[in-house]
Amino acid sequence: MIVNFLTYLRERPALLKWSFLAYLAFAIIFDFYADRHHAHFWGDHLVGYWAVFGLLGCLGMIVFCKGLSHVWLERDKDHYDK
Amino acid sequence: MTSSIFMHPATMFIIGALLLPLAKKCKVQKVWLVLVPLVAFIQIQYLPESFGKVEWLGFELQFGRVDKLTMVFLHVFTLMALIGSIFGLHVKESGQHVAAWLYVAGSLGTTLAGDYLTVFIFWELMAFASVFLIWYRKRKRSIEAGYRYLLVHTFGGLVLLGGIFLRYQNIGDLTFELISVDHATLADYLIMIGFMLNAAVPPIHAWLPDAYPEATVTGAVFMCAFTTKTAVYVLARGFAGFETLAIMGAIMTLYGVAYAVIENDARRILAYHIVSQVGYMVCAVGIGTEMAINGASAHAYAHILYKALLFMGIGSVLEMTGRSKLSELGGLYKYMPYTMIFTVIGGIAISGFPLTSGFISKSMIIAAAGNNHQIVILSMLLLAAVGTFLSVGIKLPYFVFFGPNDSGLTPDEAPWNMQLAMGMAAFMCIFLGFYPDYLYDMLPYAVAYHPYTSYHLTETFHLLGFTGLGFYIMVKYLKPHDVSNLDLDWFYRRGAGWFMWVANKPISSTNEWVSNVYQNIGLRLTMALARALSWFDWEGIDWALDGSARGVVKGGEQVRQFQTGKLQHYIGAAVALLFIVLIVVVLV
Repeated sequence: MIVNFLTYLRERPALLKWSFLAYLAFAIIFDFYADRHHAHFWGDHLVGYWAVFGLLGCLGMIVFCKGLSHVWLERDKDHYDK
Repeated sequence: MTSSIFMHPATMFIIGALLLPLAKKCKVQKVWLVLVPLVAFIQIQYLPESFGKVEWLGFELQFGRVDKLTMVFLHVFTLMALIGSIFGLHVKESGQHVAAWLYVAGSLGTTLAGDYLTVFIFWELMAFASVFLIWYRKRKRSIEAGYRYLLVHTFGGLVLLGGIFLRYQNIGDLTFELISVDHATLADYLIMIGFMLNAAVPPIHAWLPDAYPEATVTGAVFMCAFTTKTAVYVLARGFAGFETLAIMGAIMTLYGVAYAVIENDARRILAYHIVSQVGYMVCAVGIGTEMAINGASAHAYAHILYKALLFMGIGSVLEMTGRSKLSELGGLYKYMPYTMIFTVIGGIAISGFPLTSGFISKSMIIAAAGNNHQIVILSMLLLAAVGTFLSVGIKLPYFVFFGPNDSGLTPDEAPWNMQLAMGMAAFMCIFLGFYPDYLYDMLPYAVAYHPYTSYHLTETFHLLGFTGLGFYIMVKYLKPHDVSNLDLDWFYRRGAGWFMWVANKPISSTNEWVSNVYQNIGLRLTMALARALSWFDWEGIDWALDGSARGVVKGGEQVRQFQTGKLQHYIGAAVALLFIVLIVVVLV
């Protein structure tokens, strides 16, 4: 049953995409109504601060780590056996 | 006194391990494997505050010291021993179970120890028992990785022992209590480094991602739970409030997660991710406030369960398909749907989704950093949370169970015992998310923290949602490749290689050259020199001493000619001499 459901979803990427975007929209709207009473620093007071942090952090991390791997760290899997 | 040793949960696991072959003989190995951890899990509730005090060679050893900090770790360790043993029920080799239980015993013994000598004894038991969990995989790579693991831990143990000796020399006291930052000496820092090695704090972390992916399927489930979390316990016990730990911990969270983003082997991703997660705990220990120590304990509890769940999920895939590389997997959700669900639960729990254990534990540490106004550390921890969701929350399940391409594998679902163990861990992940007070009531200090505030929820929705968006945009760049990445183990893996090369090539050939030179030139020179000296002795020194030696030789030669060897000649000569003497005496 789960398998059929997941296969059903996989065959409909547009549906997944739109429900995901709907979730993001919900998250942003929710942010306007959040109680910022316990804010730790200035970033906590900005609406959408953590959304930007999350997106840029994620993109930055992928670019930085993958880049570093390609230019420096990457070796054959039996590198140490040679 | 004797009875108090028997109530020690470590004793239970040691005796349980020793009797395991017997249980196998009686065909009750599976019953025994569930019974012993279950009894231990119940029995720890009834431990007295202090027990097992022994005088030994003038040292006061304490095998049992129980307070709330100990209890929360004991609770999760024994629970994990139960889950891990159920996960490994199908393994017939008793040796693996014996090694796992001795390892658990080491961990429990360290947690309960009240003095540094006891800590050290159980610390070493942990290292030596766990290496067998790697060797039992029986592949060449595992044997090699096991030796490296053992060498690194022996080194760490020696640093720890050095610290303990120095401490004893300095203050003559080995009780294991909180050390104040202001009075910490070299001895205390050596002990701290010994502990940090087991907590896999960079730059002494590389043993972990090197060894854990090479362990057996069950072995890795045990290993991911005990070594690092025992280290977190001893750091929290002895070194709470050391600023260094807060900084190192924050660096750890990012270091581990960066490698988790680029690695290809699923178990290596999880291993690197342990470094990241333990970083949160080390950081909290370094912050050192009551809330932070609570956070470290809560996170250790939650982390053991979801990380073990992830190792079990990926372990099941490895067991059923023989593969653990993302580049060789994909599309497995059709064949292993339950394993997939459990792994995804582990993934969302580790990412800190609301209503999972990660949400209620990780946020405590982040809030502790925020309350302490350490904003840089707070940002680093949240960036690591982004990386966590990216690497373990999305990338790992996506490429194993779904993925852009189908691997073509059609494995069976994992055996019932593996699913049961995963189900138990998954239940705990969700249960703690719904009912955090179950965990909060166990923590060392009273908890005034509420995870489900609207602000904390919105922060989490944003971080996770927009990380997901980032993954969606970049997914084609994250496609795994079958490569390995350099890490700081390079220094001792290449270093050892260079040492062997230097030993083989330059030193060996220099040795050969020197011995050739010696044979061809040296020996002749020596002989010539000997002859010269002999001549000098004969001609030079003798001549200088008035030829006396030569005179003696000549005299001897002449005396020799007088001696005929006939007895009557000697008697005749003696009588003649006597007459001469008499004549001289009488006449004079």
